[in-house]
Amino acid sequence: MNRLDATRLLVAAIGDEPIVASLGHPAYDLFAAGDRPANFYTWGSMGLASSIGLGLALARPELRVFVVDGDGSLLMNLGSLATIGWTRPANLVLIVWDNQVYGTTGGQDTATAHGADLEAAARAMGATATVTVTTGEAFAAAIARSRVEPGPWVIVAKVAESAPAVKPPLDCMFIKQRFMAAIGRPEEATRGGRA
Amino acid sequence: MTVEPRWASGVCAGLHSAGSRHVVYVPDNPLSHVLRILRERFPDVATTLATREEEAFGIAAGLYLGGVRPTVMLQSSGLGNSLNALTSLLIPYKIPTLIVISMRGDAGEWNDAQVPMGRAVRPICDAMGLPHVTVDSPEATDDTVRLVGQTAFSTRQPGVCLLPRRITVPLQGKA
Repeated sequence: MNRLDATRLLVAAIGDEPIVASLGHPAYDLFAAGDRPANFYTWGSMGLASSIGLGLALARPELRVFVVDGDGSLLMNLGSLATIGWTRPANLVLIVWDNQVYGTTGGQDTATAHGADLEAAARAMGATATVTVTTGEAFAAAIARSRVEPGPWVIVAKVAESAPAVKPPLDCMFIKQRFMAAIGRPEEATRGGRA
Repeated sequence: MTVEPRWASGVCAGLHSAGSRHVVYVPDNPLSHVLRILRERFPDVATTLATREEEAFGIAAGLYLGGVRPTVMLQSSGLGNSLNALTSLLIPYKIPTLIVISMRGDAGEWNDAQVPMGRAVRPICDAMGLPHVTVDSPEATDDTVRLVGQTAFSTRQPGVCLLPRRITVPLQGKA
């Protein structure tokens, strides 16, 4: 299973639920799999996709919030697992594309290539629903469960690199405003109002 | 009964008047007064502890995307931990956040290791283009926090409110 194929499975499996994408290849593959208004593409802040997803999940308990993160990115913000474990939002699904390399920066090994186990870390920090998958079938099954069973979910998907050929929109304001409108809370300043 | 410092109740009232209903924080001794007052008197304001300041800003960004006006509270030493989140997420995406910083390293400091960042806080904010206002007195805290928050949420950019030690720790002299 490569990351683009897995991202396509994800987009096909869920409806219009929000997806927060870590910068670089996870965001590129999400765009390639299907540009949706409910995609929040980050262009920086490496490591923070899971935190953004956590904040969104806390703000909007009625939404199922998906995050596509990378192993290198999550390793940069491991404390996020502790905060997710403490706050335990039932509606958060954190997907970690674990390709064991820093794919966006040239393919250097990450710690998961040398024994680090992100699912075990998530479980140790209190995530209640965790799984590691290595095939498309197992990934699709995990996504199906994560849509209906309470989380927080941490799905570690072992994937191969997929050499993205396209990039999402670059305009950060456009991404934000389109996203907020898509999840039913258009940014106040875009709406007009009383004089 | 525990003393409720005027500045600390002012922070709570100010952020509440600015419409903020979720505070993400990394703890600090003076800020513990704010957290206690929020818990006791502002039940509609949620609080979330982050393990690190950069993470706090990520959570705040997610809250804002979901329609909640976030406040981030931290000690000035944590500003250094926040810079990538501020410069590559909150500022370019125009994600407004009320930022309340409890100062270390300014007048009254006893710990040498706090001084360099304390001294650098304002130049760093200036270099990022982040507006910052220093609270003048305990009595001015409520209005200052409220106005910084209102400006942040209305103009959709993060705004910083600095709480100097002469206000937050006038009696103990250490924190």
